[in-house]
Amino acid sequence: MSRISYNLRVIWACMKKDIKVSLTDRIFVILGVFLPVNFLILFSLFVLSGGQAPTAVVMNDTGPYAQQFYHSMAGAHSFILQKATASEASRLIQAGRIVAVVTIPADFETRIQNKQPVKVDVDINNLNTDFTNDIRRAVPLSITSFYAKAFPNVVTIVPHETDQYTQDTGYIPYLTVSILVIALVVGGLLQSGTSAAREWENATMKEVLLSPASRWAVVTGKMLGALVMSLASVIVVLAVLIFIIGVHPLHWGAMIGFTLLTLAIFIALGTLLGTLIKQRQAFTGLAFGVAIPLFFVSGAFGPISFNVPILQVIAQITPVYYAIVLQQYAFHGFTLNTYGLAANTLILFGFAIGLILLSALVLRRSTVAN
Amino acid sequence: MSATRSNEVIPGQPAIGNRNVPAIEIQVLCKTFGKFHAVDHLTLTVQQGEVFGLLGPNGSGKTTTINMISGLTVPTSGVVKVLGYDVRHNAREVRQILGAVPQETALYEELSAWTNMDFHADLFGIPRREKKQRINDMLTLVQLADRKNSRVSTFSGGMKRRLALGRALLHDPQLIYLDEPTLGIDVQARRAIWDYILQLRSQGKTVLITTNYLEEAQALCDRLAIIDHGKLIAVDTPEHLKQTYGGNVVELETAHVITAVDKIHALENIKEVRQEKTHLTITTQGTGNVVPQIINIVSQEDEIRDITIREPNLDEIFLRLTGTALRD
Repeated sequence: MSRISYNLRVIWACMKKDIKVSLTDRIFVILGVFLPVNFLILFSLFVLSGGQAPTAVVMNDTGPYAQQFYHSMAGAHSFILQKATASEASRLIQAGRIVAVVTIPADFETRIQNKQPVKVDVDINNLNTDFTNDIRRAVPLSITSFYAKAFPNVVTIVPHETDQYTQDTGYIPYLTVSILVIALVVGGLLQSGTSAAREWENATMKEVLLSPASRWAVVTGKMLGALVMSLASVIVVLAVLIFIIGVHPLHWGAMIGFTLLTLAIFIALGTLLGTLIKQRQAFTGLAFGVAIPLFFVSGAFGPISFNVPILQVIAQITPVYYAIVLQQYAFHGFTLNTYGLAANTLILFGFAIGLILLSALVLRRSTVAN
Repeated sequence: MSATRSNEVIPGQPAIGNRNVPAIEIQVLCKTFGKFHAVDHLTLTVQQGEVFGLLGPNGSGKTTTINMISGLTVPTSGVVKVLGYDVRHNAREVRQILGAVPQETALYEELSAWTNMDFHADLFGIPRREKKQRINDMLTLVQLADRKNSRVSTFSGGMKRRLALGRALLHDPQLIYLDEPTLGIDVQARRAIWDYILQLRSQGKTVLITTNYLEEAQALCDRLAIIDHGKLIAVDTPEHLKQTYGGNVVELETAHVITAVDKIHALENIKEVRQEKTHLTITTQGTGNVVPQIINIVSQEDEIRDITIREPNLDEIFLRLTGTALRD
């Protein structure tokens, strides 16, 4: 048997064995598949519901101007509106169920027609500054918008918008693609890291290290095993993203390629950390400790170039940033930085090769303590 | 003997050793962890076909020594050769000719006995056409053929040791090491493991075992090295160790407590006299027979109710050599 065919056999054996071992841990398999989906669903729900302030509107006047004002508020994308009586609204704000009560006075219609000033009462539950400021910004915006539509000749300043892209990208489609990347990060790290740490924790690494198999072949086999296991969760996440949330990739081939590349990076990082830490419980804590901050500093919620410079510097030293840039391209067709597609891909390749080499080197230098 | 025999070993086909080359050759081997000397200038040679025991209490450096022999731990200094291969420079060749049964067994407990063997066969490059037959043979040898599809986690400690032994033999190694092979298993399972080790000896295999059970060392080993605090205290056959460091042990039971202990102590070739009420334990040294003189002294003072003359056991030898009991 040649050295090459022997190494291929070791790679295949290590991959097969790791998959079998992982499959015996059913709770971990279920967690591994559904944790990333959980991320996707919960973040989407958070974005859907959490970004707008629940507000009651007391319509003491139901005339056409009052209705138009109500629609202007609805079009401000800052409120989740509900109509209520004064007593209902009061009860809701007292119970902390809404952020604000906007009261349209009974003489709204008459005063507008007579060109008299109108006072619209706004009661705010200012427990949360973020929501409070939303209300403080959005009510004047609604008034401006109302005027622009009700009295187009009076309002003389109107914005003339020129868009960089042919279509807007909604927050949900943007964020869910970022969440796909974090699902790859978490899935890759957990599958490979726990597999590596398990070998040390159960001392089965001795069986591997006592064999004549090349450490490179062992690491490659283990990484491929983790890749296969991670793909299961990736497929579920993609299915939810595409078929349930309705975010479709613009470039399928690029999406698949960047997905595999991102997985390779975090599988290598997981193998490296698992080999160094040697304990599953400690590793799992660290994996989340690494993944969650990376998610927040890598432009997951919006282009990192809109953030403060220090955050931009931090983001650009992490592979998650480039993975998000490339997946946003694959799904939506835009590139979030000025490096270009090829440079972003090469940087991601660099991370992958560097981490694979490093994890193989660490395993090679690992010895068994007494 | 050249340090490097070959640069490449073909997986699945271990190098055929020259019978004159020592199975293990350790020269001035040291391993330190910080300021702690786990192995301290150890030099010893194990010949091919021997069952060789490393005997010492926990923490004496036995496992560190075999980890260095197998290349799992890098020595701080010194040389280890296995069948002529320098472990540092020919680690892969050494692993191919070594069968290991680590203390922890290192079995994948989530997988079946068969899958464990199958994985080992792939790691050691056992030819595919022979693999199935060899796994079946080994499982039959260690009497686990009927449990081949059972998960290892359902096995008893003894079964796991047997499986680990069968796995270690699967690639037909020339040197087998067993680290504490019967630690924590019942007497029946211990006997079974001993039988397998004795079978290996009859097949001409070299076996290296570490143990802190003297009975085990005495039953199995052709030669023993006694190690304490990482240092080699003595190396010889169990019989020679007894002769060299032992002498005889005379146990006497008298009717009453006697006062002639000092007289016995003053005799030539008396190493130690211990008195516990009416029971005397007298350890002699050298080849001279002082027993008649002891009997004479004691019988002048009191009636001797019982007398036993026996060889010292290895516990007593170990105590004499190291000043501590083996399982302290």
